[in-house]
Amino acid sequence: MTVLGPNESILDPREAALGTEGLVRRFGEVTAVDDVTLAVPSGELRAVIGPNGAGKTTLFNVVTGLLSPTAGRVWFEGTDVTDAPQYERPHAGLARSFQSNELFTEESVLENVRVVVQTAEYGPFGLDLFRDAASVGRERAVEILDRVGLDAAHDTLAKNLPHGDQRRLGIAMALATDPDVLLLDEPTSGMSPGATTKTAALVEDIHDSLGLTVLLIEHDMDVVLSISDRVTVLDQGRAIATGPPEEIRTDDDVQEAYLGGIREEL
Amino acid sequence: MSALSRYRVPVGLLVLVVALRPVVAHQWLLGFGQIATSMLIWMLFVAAFNLLFGFTGLLSFGHAMFFGFGMYGVAIAVARLDLPFVVGAVVGVAFAAAFGNLLGRLIVEKGEIYFAMLTLAVGEAVYFVVNRNPLGLTGGSNGISQNALPPWVETFRGQKSVVLPFAEVEWYWVVAVVFLLCMLALWQLLRSPFGRSLVAVRENEGLARAMGMNVDRYKIASFTASGALASIAGVLLEINTQGASIETFGVLTSGDAVLMAVLGGVNYFFGPVAGVFVWQFTAEYLSSFRMLNLPTTELALVSVDVSGVLQHWRFLLGALFVAVVLLSPKDGVWGALRDGVRVAAARFREVRR
Ligand SMILES: Nc1ncnc2c1ncn2[C@@H]1O[C@H](COP(=O)(O)OP(=O)(O)O)[C@@H](O)[C@H]1O
Ligand SMILES: [Mg+2]
Repeated sequence: MTVLGPNESILDPREAALGTEGLVRRFGEVTAVDDVTLAVPSGELRAVIGPNGAGKTTLFNVVTGLLSPTAGRVWFEGTDVTDAPQYERPHAGLARSFQSNELFTEESVLENVRVVVQTAEYGPFGLDLFRDAASVGRERAVEILDRVGLDAAHDTLAKNLPHGDQRRLGIAMALATDPDVLLLDEPTSGMSPGATTKTAALVEDIHDSLGLTVLLIEHDMDVVLSISDRVTVLDQGRAIATGPPEEIRTDDDVQEAYLGGIREEL
Repeated sequence: MSALSRYRVPVGLLVLVVALRPVVAHQWLLGFGQIATSMLIWMLFVAAFNLLFGFTGLLSFGHAMFFGFGMYGVAIAVARLDLPFVVGAVVGVAFAAAFGNLLGRLIVEKGEIYFAMLTLAVGEAVYFVVNRNPLGLTGGSNGISQNALPPWVETFRGQKSVVLPFAEVEWYWVVAVVFLLCMLALWQLLRSPFGRSLVAVRENEGLARAMGMNVDRYKIASFTASGALASIAGVLLEINTQGASIETFGVLTSGDAVLMAVLGGVNYFFGPVAGVFVWQFTAEYLSSFRMLNLPTTELALVSVDVSGVLQHWRFLLGALFVAVVLLSPKDGVWGALRDGVRVAAARFREVRR
């Protein structure tokens, strides 16, 4: 395999599990995402790296419909979803976690996940008024919390969880949508080295045993090198290189982009 | 979970309607029980408001309009059109639901602040229209007070009763039954999957959307249900006050709903109940209080005429409100009570050990 430059993709974005064509997002003068063409094949674990402000989160936001693109298209499993409402995408199988800890803060850990399971069951709008919600989706929520290692925290209020557990709860909620493609925005940020390793193992486990396609924004190069199938490097909004982790590590263009940045880590 | 803790809300509601009147009528408190009926009606109204505010996160500054729709629906049907009460009630409630639904569709996506401002503006517009006495239906600023009671309501020495084919029932108990049914429906709504989705929307709208919820539709549905429920309280109020008054549509009524909900505690099912109780009780108590006798009434060493101060009960309630908000804006009186009970229970357990 070789390293691909900007606007070269492994396969036609329209045939990928997740693809973008010439995606652009501007904020006034700032071009946060600049003509990004990507294709992530089904089943791949793709890391997205790049210095702070490179546009990684914005790319996720546009792909998941939180933001609309200034130009370009988003393809999901062969369908153009560029104009689909954000709330429809998880039901199609495209889910995400957030870089900041977005939670239903005053609710218990179990309820945070359960309400997402319930949403996956009922669709974007459910008008079931007659059941007791506590029993709807509970088993599956418990299962997911077991998987992410939060089985001892069911009744804790989300706001009272330690930071690392809040990150894991975010992953659990994304899993609760029952996705095919999962976008994780820095799941290990702010974690101790030990917790980082544990979370990396969790991401790998989700990818391997659930067979999900995963896009992972990650700063820890050890994690990136050890678990990703391919890496895409974003710099100033542009996808400057895509390739296997070892080759990305030694690529000249990538070194260039990281000058003064995290070169030493690479 | 034990059955009692699972059904503590229905049990609590039952205790409330049974105990409310004797408690306020006790000689140490108000000494008369009529106010209990109006308390229940207001509790239903504020609980309806709080479905939207406390449980969906949308602040409506125009909720009086729904109260008014129910009230005027009945008054117009009975006093103006000679139609049966039921027709007026059903039309009034259906109109409130439809109005809430359409208004929701128009304004729900605009964001919190705009929602508050637009409900305020629409509430004022509705007031304006009702005040113009369209088609001679609403009576303008006079409201509707003549022949505004359905024939099955009898008034004897200021006490209302409802004549049923098999018995005559005190008006309070009719209100209590409607109140119970509506509050139970609200309780079930809040524990249903639909209700849990509303709370998720309140907690984190962006996350709810990212997890697949059509947030706008949930808000519209909540607004619709809240409007309908508030209008049922309006239907009761029409009979209670023997007619319809333009004041019900006023911005003060909307404001009172907000204040009572916050005073009681918006995060709790019983918050509005507590808020209305404290508010109306305090208002009534303070405005009927004349002489402060110390140390007791029987053995008064000092008697002070405090009526001059206490007639400004709105000011004193305002001060109480500010204190509650400063101490804990979402917990209110009910939250404080719950905490108090919890702390006391913990102490008690310790002492026993
Ligand atoms: N909502 C926004 N409004 C304005 N500018 C934004 C917004 N979101 C991101 N940006 C800008 O876009 C650029 C990319 O940001 P971001 O996608 O968060 O980068 P990364 O996640 O790679 O650190 C930055 O310059 C940032 O300031
Ligand atoms: Mg980011």
